[in-house]
Amino acid sequence: MAVTDTADDFDPENEAVLQATELTKQFGDFVALDDVDLDVRDGEFRSVIGPNGAGKTTLFNCLTGALKPTSGTVRFRGEDVTRLPPNERVRRGMGRSFQISTVFGGLSVRENVRLAAQSVAEGKGQIPIHRKLFSPTDRFESVEARTDEVLAEIGLEERSDDYARALAHGDRRRLEIGLVLATDPELVLLDEPTAGMGSEETQRTISLVEEVLADQTMLLIEHDIDLVMNVSDTITVLNRGQVLATGTPERIAENDDVQQAYLGGVRE
Amino acid sequence: MVGVTGVAEQLLNGLTIGMVYVLIAAGLSVIFGVMDVINFAHGELFALGAYFAFAIVAPLGGAGFWVALVVAPLLVGVLGAVIERVTLRPLYDRNPLYHILLTFGLVLMLNDVITFFWGKQPKAFSEPSILSGPVTVLGVSNSLYSYFIIAFGAVLSFGTWWALNNTRFGLVVRAGSQDREMVRNLGINIDRYYTLVFGAGAALAAVAGIVLGAYQNVNPGMGNSVIIPAFVIVVLGGLGSFRGAVVGGLGVGIIQTLARTYVPVLEGLIVFALMIGVLLVKPEGLFGTSTGEGHGESEGELLAGRGGGVLTDRQRFGLGAVVVALLAVVPLGVEVLYSEYVLTLLTDVLIWALFALSLDFVMGYAGLVSLGHALFYGTGAYASVLVLLHFTSSAFVALAAAVVVCAAIAWVIGYLSIRVSGVYFSMITLAFAQLFYRAVFKLEWTGGSDGLFGADVLYGIGGFAMELDEIAEMVPMVSEEGLFYYFLLATVVGSYLVARQIMKAPFGSVLQSIRESERRTEFVGYDVTAYKRRAFVVSGAMAGLAGGLFAVESGFVAPSLLFWLNSGEVVVMTVLGGMGTLYGPMVGAGVYIGFEEVLASYTDQWQFFLGALFVLFVIALPRGLVSLPDKLVEAGAGGGRAGTSGGPGEAPSEEAEPLADGEVNE
Repeated sequence: MAVTDTADDFDPENEAVLQATELTKQFGDFVALDDVDLDVRDGEFRSVIGPNGAGKTTLFNCLTGALKPTSGTVRFRGEDVTRLPPNERVRRGMGRSFQISTVFGGLSVRENVRLAAQSVAEGKGQIPIHRKLFSPTDRFESVEARTDEVLAEIGLEERSDDYARALAHGDRRRLEIGLVLATDPELVLLDEPTAGMGSEETQRTISLVEEVLADQTMLLIEHDIDLVMNVSDTITVLNRGQVLATGTPERIAENDDVQQAYLGGVRE
Repeated sequence: MVGVTGVAEQLLNGLTIGMVYVLIAAGLSVIFGVMDVINFAHGELFALGAYFAFAIVAPLGGAGFWVALVVAPLLVGVLGAVIERVTLRPLYDRNPLYHILLTFGLVLMLNDVITFFWGKQPKAFSEPSILSGPVTVLGVSNSLYSYFIIAFGAVLSFGTWWALNNTRFGLVVRAGSQDREMVRNLGINIDRYYTLVFGAGAALAAVAGIVLGAYQNVNPGMGNSVIIPAFVIVVLGGLGSFRGAVVGGLGVGIIQTLARTYVPVLEGLIVFALMIGVLLVKPEGLFGTSTGEGHGESEGELLAGRGGGVLTDRQRFGLGAVVVALLAVVPLGVEVLYSEYVLTLLTDVLIWALFALSLDFVMGYAGLVSLGHALFYGTGAYASVLVLLHFTSSAFVALAAAVVVCAAIAWVIGYLSIRVSGVYFSMITLAFAQLFYRAVFKLEWTGGSDGLFGADVLYGIGGFAMELDEIAEMVPMVSEEGLFYYFLLATVVGSYLVARQIMKAPFGSVLQSIRESERRTEFVGYDVTAYKRRAFVVSGAMAGLAGGLFAVESGFVAPSLLFWLNSGEVVVMTVLGGMGTLYGPMVGAGVYIGFEEVLASYTDQWQFFLGALFVLFVIALPRGLVSLPDKLVEAGAGGGRAGTSGGPGEAPSEEAEPLADGEVNE
């Protein structure tokens, strides 16, 4: 499959790295996403928040390719990626992390990161077929170098020989982010990175995201509105599958509809 | 010339067989729907029903049929319930592969029980006299018994359907097949229902066995021959769908019967072709509900044998070298320390070891549970013999042909099959293998049921080729068999080393990540489907090589090489040894054949004990023999290392706990 040269298609006037247009997803009669528009600009830290059942995860899955939208388009750097499988999107620069950290538990920490780095090398055509089949994995210098770099960035050099499943939850989350980083993303999509964490751990993870991914274009899905206030450039609020509001954190905080959705949405 | 009454008569015959299929498939399907168990032993339970009936009818005579129709299903039902309680219950949270393996062991056991009590000769018991004799309806003459089967089957099916839809039992069962956890959360002890469902399914199968037994005859192979069509029906209709089982059963019965009469060339083929077609277009079957996306991830993990616990890599490499060295000196002791037979046995072991290695390549690494690997083994053997017979006598060329042909077929089958996942993949590979198995009987150039033989084998290429006994004359101390043995040993060890190299390279590393998590692998940018397909090609080629070696050694091929039992056996060996470690399955092949040999020398019922052993194995040591040393060490240490922290350097040994790490999948 020929990789489209995104630079040609890219309209400098339109800085949207990721552009979702009229995205709709139905499950049977249930409309999980209803006509959602979303533009993420270069260098932006965008958060998508919303109460439970607002359609955040569905949106995320449609953007990453885990789900195909019922209608609407997803463009990445100008290219229509709506029908592309997830792995093709990753190769184009859309890195993604998981709500539940899914690292390769039975492989070493280093091997986890190395696999992601190797994927980039494979995508660039740097691994000829005979070497791919027969050369031991540690003979690929650029992959090794990138692996070391990422391990240092996420601070897991010390644990690199451990099995990933032996890591504590927080470290596993670090590794998960390392996997995303190692795919050299131009846009990082994060789905509730702090789900299931205690408050201290949550703080650490958010600092990690800020520290490691500071210069990345980001799209963060989050339930907790307070958490994203300080780190986001722009916040989009989702409710019942629709965009309720988009704006700077300050404006979102003042928005009556948003307060209504959050307070009104609490039933328990 | 096809007469209308002729067609009507065939339709009626088809309907009769179809109704028997419905009774078998209904149980099979509901059992799968509710507990995710693919019950290979269902065919044996069906056969057991027929044999019980035979045992009851023989002393009682004609009226005994009615007694048998009540008593035999009850007995089989109780047996089914016991089987569920004792063997299946510990396995519910595991990947469906383990249910397949377990019930495969049960097949061996039950089949041997049958031959132990009733022998291998077919038996017959007749329908009650009131039902014998022909009747003519609308100009179509058929036996009254045929109408009885259709009517009785219809009533029973309707009754089952009614019970599923109108009783509390049925409600729980149906809810359970939608969402087992939810039913549990409602405070219903669904495990109790499992026993009932399994027992009821077994009883239905027994009824099918009884009515068919009186219609045809009773023989030990009846279970084996009915189970595969039954799977086809269940898959066609949709796993877990009762309606699908009914429509599929009747449809397959009719299509089979009509094909036999009007298009004999397609008999046996058409049903598998149909199943493959349906799976490709609508994997969930005609009436199945979509399994939903990401279903594969929610299944239990395949338990790979991580054998690294006790030995270091170097020690293990050393141990391997010692084993190879020992194997290499074996031919020198022939006629001195032991008979030639030892060599014959080891030749067998080595060929199966390569076969098992090939399966492990896709099953243990890429998570593809192929139930049709005999296809490649058999095709490789056929390709080799055909080359030897028609083109050249060179063994090397014949083996190369086996590899190339099987790689090509694996690519095509992989291309078609790998888009469906999990159980469906297993079923589609099984169907392909049966398709090839059936086709061999039909084709002229494959020798039909006789197979092919009489091939001359030369070693070398072109002018530099010799027969093995000529070479043997020049080599002191080694017989012709010994020479072949060395050739085989070199090929197998070479293949192992190549496989090992591949697993250490980028390609292999991606396969291992696929085994860990398909989804995550996709999301670091790999095309999982393409990788699986390539692995399948490598695996098919290797299995073809194993088959080719068999053909070159024995000089003959027969359709039985392609039979599904071979696919089952190689899965057994792979898991027995420990999948996901390249050497494990090879050890497994040795142990399996060794056990078979030892048991067979003590008892005629060796299959029973082999099956029993295997059942115990699947329950107690799912990671295979390679995990045994680790388990022993663990037991010896008295749980002293139960901690979960993995400090630097000591991590590999921490990973020994075989079952505790199921939580990774959550």
